[in-house]
Amino acid sequence: MLDGRPFDILDYLRRDLMPHFLCPGCGHGIALRALLWAVHETGIAKDRLAVISGIGCAGRLAAYIDANTFHVPHGRALPFATGLKIARPDLAVVVLTGDGDCLAIGGNHLIHACRRNLDLTCVMLNNEVYGMTGGQVSPTTGAGRLTTTTPQGNREPAFDACGLAEAAGAGLVGRELTLHPPTLKNVIKEGLAHPGFSFIEVMSDCTEIFGRKNEMGSSGEMILSQASAMRPTSYGSRGATAPFHPNAFPTGVLARNERPEYGAHLRAASASDDGHD
Amino acid sequence: MSDRPTNVLIVGVGGQGVILVSKVLTEVCQARGLAVKQSEVHGMAKRGGAVFSHVRFGREIWSPTIAQGEADVLLALEWAEGLRWLGHLSRAGTLIADTRRIVPLAACLDRSWGAQPAYPRRSPEDLLAGIANGFAIDATGIAMDLGNARVANTVVLGALSAVLGQPAEDWQPVLARNVPPKTVEVNHAAFARGRAWIESRPEPRPAASPPARQPVGATAPMNGVRLVITESWCKGCDICVKMCPERCLALNGAQVVELSDAGACTGCRVCEWLCPDFAITVDRGGQEPRA
Repeated sequence: MLDGRPFDILDYLRRDLMPHFLCPGCGHGIALRALLWAVHETGIAKDRLAVISGIGCAGRLAAYIDANTFHVPHGRALPFATGLKIARPDLAVVVLTGDGDCLAIGGNHLIHACRRNLDLTCVMLNNEVYGMTGGQVSPTTGAGRLTTTTPQGNREPAFDACGLAEAAGAGLVGRELTLHPPTLKNVIKEGLAHPGFSFIEVMSDCTEIFGRKNEMGSSGEMILSQASAMRPTSYGSRGATAPFHPNAFPTGVLARNERPEYGAHLRAASASDDGHD
Repeated sequence: MSDRPTNVLIVGVGGQGVILVSKVLTEVCQARGLAVKQSEVHGMAKRGGAVFSHVRFGREIWSPTIAQGEADVLLALEWAEGLRWLGHLSRAGTLIADTRRIVPLAACLDRSWGAQPAYPRRSPEDLLAGIANGFAIDATGIAMDLGNARVANTVVLGALSAVLGQPAEDWQPVLARNVPPKTVEVNHAAFARGRAWIESRPEPRPAASPPARQPVGATAPMNGVRLVITESWCKGCDICVKMCPERCLALNGAQVVELSDAGACTGCRVCEWLCPDFAITVDRGGQEPRA
């Protein structure tokens, strides 16, 4: 917390870049606020915060944060963050990524980042579509949804990103809606505090590209529908491994996996290796 | 010289000599032992299209291009091109623009009688009023006065040398080496005229304070709660209107949110939390409600 002041997002933004480039009603802005709010409440100084993002609408968000930010190649935010965290364990490293960036282009990197359990916080903004490139189907697009590449409706089953992260060994797995910013902030806070790899899926809304095509109403109607369509409260008690049901997501902190943290393990190992060289 | 690189952005249209100006500047900086990087785009130049050249010099240069708002000097050989690139000028930067207009072909498509070309109508006075250090110089006029309109770029180059505060002796041999032998004399004269034009100007005004980006649309206080709306950030998405539990927000005619029922606002912060554009801040005057 900056000098005990209440959270003011303007303290954390590169104000000369505002207003940001996101479409009207895009849920990513809400998620960005929640992330910065969580950073503020965790008490991470801006100089000690590194935000790394890949490509896409979510990838552009890092540029608006007044901290150490990196915009790296598509899907490669996690490898970059891994290198940074190993070199600079004193930094709080956050990865901001989208569903396509994280699960498709960088899918392999996600699995291995979960496996290593390095102390990173990966915030994946899931808006079910590749928004920046014009609305192509993504790994998390729900069944039957219309996109520019699925004009007859999506026939592929959607990925359960949290189930994937948990199975791959992530230290903490959480999911929250942009409809509930304070809860979302709390879940991200849990992720920042967790000493290991934390994966947080944020259910965001793509209003212009996805919502319009699927006739999901205005931005306000779309975000309101998260409450009914995703029914977080009725599924809140179920674990992440319960049968995956699109549009009926459990939310909150879904799984904790107490495993050794990779960075500490690596440093301990290299310290003991020094004697043998 | 400080460690910070100096960024000079040179813009104009095809045939004016943007590349020549940047070449001379680059060679002068190299001769001074500085690291220089230059990057240009001149693809459509021969069709009167836009040409620009980024020149960065200093102790060490990594990137060859100048980001928006980071040009220390914007050198415009053509008026509209200068306006087009104004966003690249830093707040304390210097603009040197030739006031001569070269109306592009695309701006003259309306051939009906009396039709005005679609060329920016902003006057030099109006433009310079908003810039910390601005010089609108009739370089083409000076060049025609010297008998060769094509040395207008050298007039501007002379002005640049004065703005950068470098001695003329550093520039003259480099200039002579880069122009056709027959025009060395007129180029030297043009360089001197451009330099003298800047030196005869009064001292530049102190840098204007940067434009306020603080929220502007503050609304009347109610119950000790003030809703501060940054109108220029609002994109009119209607999330706050739909989600406000008191139904006290509305979009106005310009599709910007406003407090339509000030008495109903309780300061619950739902609009602030859910505004994706950070356009609403709820100011409770330091009084936070019980958690």
